[in-house]
Amino acid sequence: MTHPADGPRTAFQAEALQHLDSVYRYAFALTRDRSEAEDLVQDTFLQALRHWDQFRPGTNARAWLFTICRNLFLRQRERRAREEPTEAAALDGLAAAAQAFAAPPDAGRALFDAPELGDVIRRELDKLPAEYREVVELSDLQDQSYADIAQVLGVPLGTVKSRLFRGRRLLQEALVDYARDAGLLPPPESDA
Amino acid sequence: MSDCQEVIQQLWEFLDGELPEGEAAEIRLHLSECAHCNPQYEFQLRFLDALVKAYAAREVPQPEFVRRLKAALGTIGDDLT
Repeated sequence: MTHPADGPRTAFQAEALQHLDSVYRYAFALTRDRSEAEDLVQDTFLQALRHWDQFRPGTNARAWLFTICRNLFLRQRERRAREEPTEAAALDGLAAAAQAFAAPPDAGRALFDAPELGDVIRRELDKLPAEYREVVELSDLQDQSYADIAQVLGVPLGTVKSRLFRGRRLLQEALVDYARDAGLLPPPESDA
Repeated sequence: MSDCQEVIQQLWEFLDGELPEGEAAEIRLHLSECAHCNPQYEFQLRFLDALVKAYAAREVPQPEFVRRLKAALGTIGDDLT
């Protein structure tokens, strides 16, 4: 650990800059634009360096950078700072969201062996509402824990779970719809 | 445990490594024995794997941008205490 006796910039380079690729990908997921992502990443790291004394060594530096990045993004977009559902409201929908998607028989083989699957996943993930997409991004593509995602987004743990499970489910439903449209899967029984 | 309904409801948390080891072990045991839940588990596992693979070759910061960023950081790093 190099914090902060070794000099703030040395410590910052050792702890923070190693996460540059991850922060860039997160910024790109938020902005969907390379130039905007670069500006956002630069602002994120400049702000992180200025406030480096607030980082607690031993905690998740990547989640801390994601938090800064997201806050800057929201501010830039002049979105409301905070208008989140309560924990109780989030939990109301959790049981339904947690109910895993009931995959049709043989869906796995037909769907996951399709050569175009990567393109379809990227296209369908892009279509998800932002509140679901960003949680799927942080969990499944940035490998962050539920607790760290809650910190990044500033929402309760139940909200993270609710959005993540619902986001995944929406994505799976879209993939199965695609497989049916492409003739990879038979139509649902009620339509047959 | 383990009732199939409970297992399916906890499947995501199990796959995400968010359950305490005792609960995870119960679910692991159930999945190894249950012909109803195991295909669901396999489907979710393959879905998460496909999601990661779909983004394996993602945007990376361009070298010119990395140079600019490090130069910008260098201009404010020295006066920090």
